[in-house]
Amino acid sequence: MLLDIIISTLINGSVYALLAIGFSLIFGVARIVNIAHTAFYMIAAYCIYFITNSLNLHPLLGMLTAIVLVTLIGLISYKFFIDPIREHEAAVLIATIALAMILQEVMLLIFTGDFLSVPSLIKGYMEFFGVRIAFQQLLTIGVALVILAAVWVLLRKTRLGLAIRSTANDREVANLMGMNVAQVAMMTMGVSVALAAFTGAVVVPLTILNPHMWMHPLIMMMAVVVLGGLGSIKGSFVGAYILGMAESLVVFLIPMGSFLKGSVALSIMILVLLIRPEGLFGVAFEEER
Amino acid sequence: MLLEVSNLTINYDKAMIINDLSMHVDSGELVSLVGPNGAGKSTLLRAITGLVAWEREITRRSVGEDITIEGTVKFEGERIDQIPAHKIVARGLIHCPERRRPFREMSTYDNLLAGGYLLKNKKEMEENLEKVYQLFPILKERSKQISGTLSGGEQQMLAIGRALMFKPKLLCIDEPSTGLAPMIRQEVFDSIVDIRKLGITVLLVEQEVSTVFKMSTRNYVLSSGKIIAEGTGKELLQDEIIRKTYLGL
Repeated sequence: MLLDIIISTLINGSVYALLAIGFSLIFGVARIVNIAHTAFYMIAAYCIYFITNSLNLHPLLGMLTAIVLVTLIGLISYKFFIDPIREHEAAVLIATIALAMILQEVMLLIFTGDFLSVPSLIKGYMEFFGVRIAFQQLLTIGVALVILAAVWVLLRKTRLGLAIRSTANDREVANLMGMNVAQVAMMTMGVSVALAAFTGAVVVPLTILNPHMWMHPLIMMMAVVVLGGLGSIKGSFVGAYILGMAESLVVFLIPMGSFLKGSVALSIMILVLLIRPEGLFGVAFEEER
Repeated sequence: MLLEVSNLTINYDKAMIINDLSMHVDSGELVSLVGPNGAGKSTLLRAITGLVAWEREITRRSVGEDITIEGTVKFEGERIDQIPAHKIVARGLIHCPERRRPFREMSTYDNLLAGGYLLKNKKEMEENLEKVYQLFPILKERSKQISGTLSGGEQQMLAIGRALMFKPKLLCIDEPSTGLAPMIRQEVFDSIVDIRKLGITVLLVEQEVSTVFKMSTRNYVLSSGKIIAEGTGKELLQDEIIRKTYLGL
């Protein structure tokens, strides 16, 4: 039981962390609340399904294609849907909700509403104190952690990372340092959507595909971001594992807990908003950006 | 002439903030803009470095004030009023903004790196970093500290140091002494004199008239978006009307 909880915490936590960090990045840099973020995660998953099941190609190839393709779709929809109305926050919110709906309906048209699945990359499991741990689960955790580390390196050690962090801190001053903030926003959108696609790719063998699969992660991701503090990368990381653990605990320890899993995130979100609205690591915005 | 502003007029909605203003800065000078609150000093700096145009771009894309800009700004003989702010920086015209505005969640060191964002190679970055540390040794001590937790004086030194990272030809500094203790103020003013000795031309906006007049080579007095007087500190102080009405001395 304990081991089950730990494994499921690590998997869910990593998935939420990857999603929430991508979501936080584009929010921090361009103040875009991208409701369609998890919809990109969904189309990555479908893309892999299509390539492995319909074209019968290797799943690894499917994953790579999915990441590239979804990032491209993300950048194109940013350019045509979001960028023209970027300064109008309410309009952006509505546009991204619409975008998520469009993507959902398109998937429904192409793949119908059936539940689909993708085979594991590596088969088999190991037994550890009587608990079966599939190798696929370990692989997912491993890859997710590697991607998280890569994001850290990107943000801390590269020129693009410096520009992303500066722009998120103060857009106008970033401009005064010679950073092209419109371009930085575009690149950040690319990184953000690529992260959603990566998440879809690592989690697809462990999950069931259907065109509504973006809803639950969206709510969890929002809750993570509220818990960790809007715009804080560290907060998203810590918040994701806290929520991942809370979810696993409810599922494993409470009878019929899996029916309650959706309410955990929302309850925590309400609690945080009541007690500490800026979240664990959030900064109360003192001045206009 | 390093910087030449001709017939600049700026409106925010119907309010005229800058009114047909012309001014210039020559190479090697330390020019100060003084005048009462709301005279348009900061707006003038923001217009020179392209921030007003940037703001206009943003408000056009959303709901906001309707900003109009007329007139020309030339830097080293070329018009810069039509190019975006981040490209103006690349020409060596750097703006150290009002209220210091460090990247609050980033370390002192990362703030300085951001200042050198446009530098092409690492070697140049390290050289400039060393020069900034020489000018402000405290920044080296605080290099790992998150800049939002620095004291006001340290933040001001960081803001100036950050602006120096790209080796400006003209450095515009907006109200560096605001909110600082008198001793720290003097330290900041001394550093500005040192910066000029490095061969960097400075355009300074300041309220602290008495100190500024002692250090600057030339001054403009602004009121209601217009330049109403120009001259050295001594000349301006001799004019009774200007001294009493606009400088409050």
